[in-house]
Amino acid sequence: MLAGGLCILPTAMALAQEAGRPVMDRSVNVRPKPTGVTPRAPDGHPDLTGLWNGAGDNLGSIPNQLHNDGIAIESQTSSHDVYSGAKIATWPVTERKPIDDTEGERSATLLRRVGSNKPIYRPKYWEMVKELDSNANEEDPSNNCMPAGIPRAGPPPYIGQFPNYFIFIYPGEGGLIATQTMYRMIPADGRKHTPLQDLDGTYTGESVAHWDGDTLVVDSWGFNSSTWFDQLGGDFHSENMHVVERFHRDGNELTWTATVDDPDVLLEPWTTNPRIQLLNPNPKAILQEVLPCSEREFAHAVSKDHH
Amino acid sequence: MLKEANTIRLSLITVVMVFAFQTAQAQTNNGTAGNTADVSKTLKSVADALGMARRTNRAGGGRLPEIDVINRMEIWGDATSTGGSGTAPKTEYHMAFSYNPPAERVEMTRASQDGGGAASQHIIQTVREGYAWNESQPGAGLEPGWGTATPAMSEAKARLLQVWILPYGVVKAAIAAGDKTKISTENEATVITYPLSGQLAGVTVKATLDAKNFVTKVVTQADNPALVIEADYSEYADHGEILSGVNSPGHIVQKQGGRPVLDIRIKNWDSAGPYVVFPVPENVKKAAAQGPSR
Repeated sequence: MLAGGLCILPTAMALAQEAGRPVMDRSVNVRPKPTGVTPRAPDGHPDLTGLWNGAGDNLGSIPNQLHNDGIAIESQTSSHDVYSGAKIATWPVTERKPIDDTEGERSATLLRRVGSNKPIYRPKYWEMVKELDSNANEEDPSNNCMPAGIPRAGPPPYIGQFPNYFIFIYPGEGGLIATQTMYRMIPADGRKHTPLQDLDGTYTGESVAHWDGDTLVVDSWGFNSSTWFDQLGGDFHSENMHVVERFHRDGNELTWTATVDDPDVLLEPWTTNPRIQLLNPNPKAILQEVLPCSEREFAHAVSKDHH
Repeated sequence: MLKEANTIRLSLITVVMVFAFQTAQAQTNNGTAGNTADVSKTLKSVADALGMARRTNRAGGGRLPEIDVINRMEIWGDATSTGGSGTAPKTEYHMAFSYNPPAERVEMTRASQDGGGAASQHIIQTVREGYAWNESQPGAGLEPGWGTATPAMSEAKARLLQVWILPYGVVKAAIAAGDKTKISTENEATVITYPLSGQLAGVTVKATLDAKNFVTKVVTQADNPALVIEADYSEYADHGEILSGVNSPGHIVQKQGGRPVLDIRIKNWDSAGPYVVFPVPENVKKAAAQGPSR
C-alpha cells in the first residue's frame, strides 16, 4: 500500500522542476495576503496538492520560526503576540552593528521563546518540563536524528491529494531540529481508527482524514512517547496523545493548526499557533534530496545554552 | 504606644515621599522633561542596557527589527523578608513571573526564628491579572488531590505591582504609557515618570537610572498605601545559569514606609523564557465572581 502511494509521487512532482526558493522580504515576517483561486478536486473539495514551501522552509529560517513561535512582526516598529494579540515593543535597527555568533544564537533563542501560547501541563509535571527544557541539548529527541513526529513536524512541505488518501512528505531538517525525512499516507475513505489498545505506538501515529466543509481534518493517535510535540520547551507527551490537524487552503496560502489532547499529562487540550505556508510559486520546483541527518555531538558542550 | 509612633513615622515618611514625588513631577511639568524623541531614546537605552531589545543575524533574521524578548522569567535568591511579626527571617525566595499575561508566583520558605525548634514557614502567593490566590504547593487547586488554592483577591493589585516595578516592567509600562511618560533629571540622574494603567490605574511610577542606564530605584505613588513601595536594584549582570545576555539586578531591596520589607541576593535569574504558567483554579474564579474586591 505504502509503496503504491509513493510510486505516484514522481508523477505529481514531475510538474515541478527547479529547486530555487523565492526571495522574500524578511524585514517582516507576516505573510502576504493570499492570492489566486483555490483549485478544486473532482469531488469538489479544495485541492491541497502542492509544494508548500513558498515562504522558505518551515524551521530553518528565523523569520518563519518567530512567526511559528507566536511573534508576528508587521513592520520595523510594530509586532504582536499571535496568541494573545498583545503588542510587543519593536525598535527599527538604524545602525546595524555586527553581532557575533554567540550573541546571535542567544538572541535567536530569546526571540523564539517570547510567545505566550504554552500548553498547560498537570502541575506535577511542571518541574519535569522545565528540567527537560533546561537540558534540551541532551534531552531533545530530535538531536539524535529521530523523526520529529506529529505535530512537531508542523505542516508538510509537500501534500499529494488523491481520491481516497493523502501523501504528506516532510524532508529532514537541519537548523532548529535535525530530523529524519518523514512521510505519512493518510486514508480519507471514511474508515475509523483502530482501537488505541491494538496499536503499537509510532512517531506519526495512525491518521485518518475527513473534510469539515472546506477544511481537511487529520485525526491521529497511536503514538509512541519518544517525541516532543512543540518545537520548544521540553513538551513531552504520553502514548495516549491525540492530535487533530486542520488544513485550510485560501489561494496560494495554506493555514495549519494542530490540537493536542493528552489528559495523561495536560490539564486541557492545547492548540498550536496557526502556521501559514505559501505555495511555491515556481511550478517547476521540486523537493530536493536532503543530506542524511547527523547526530549532534553534545558531549563537549560547555554550557546549557539553548539551540 | 510603639505602634502609634510607628504609625506617625510612617505617615510622615509617606508625606515626605509624596512631596518629593510631586516636586519631581513639577520639574517635569516645568519643562525639564524631554520630548517624545527623548523619551523613546531613553527607554531604548534602558532596554539595551538590560538586554531586552534583541535581534539576530541567524538564518535569514538579519533584516528584522529589534524585539522586546522579555516575557517569562524565574528568580531564585537568598532573602530576608518581613514576617507578620515584623521580624526578618532568612528566606529562600523563588519568583516565577510573566508579562503576557501579567502574572507571578512567589514562593518563600522562611526559616524558623527560634533556632530550629519551630517549623519553617512556606508561602506561595500567586496572581494572574485580576485573580490572586495562595497555594499550598505550586499549581494547587487545579486538579483533585493537588493541594489547596485559597482566594486572596484583595492582594491582586499589590502582587501585580511587583511585576511592573521590576526593571523590565519599567520599560514595558513606560512604553505603554505613551506620551504620558516623562523624562527629567534629578541630582544628575535621569528619571522616568509614568502612570500605570488597567488594574493599577492610579499608581504612578518614578524610576531612576544610573550612568549605564540601569534602573537603580523605583518609587511608586498611590492613594492605596499597599501600592506605595520603593525598590532599589544593584549589581546588574547576566545572572542566568543559562546565559542569555539579559542583565538583571543581583541585589533587590524593597521598602514600604521607609522600612525594608524584602532584601534578596539573587542566585539565579532565568531570562530565557522558562516554562512558567499561571492557570487560575476554578474556586478562585468563583470567588472572584462572588467577591466585591475585584
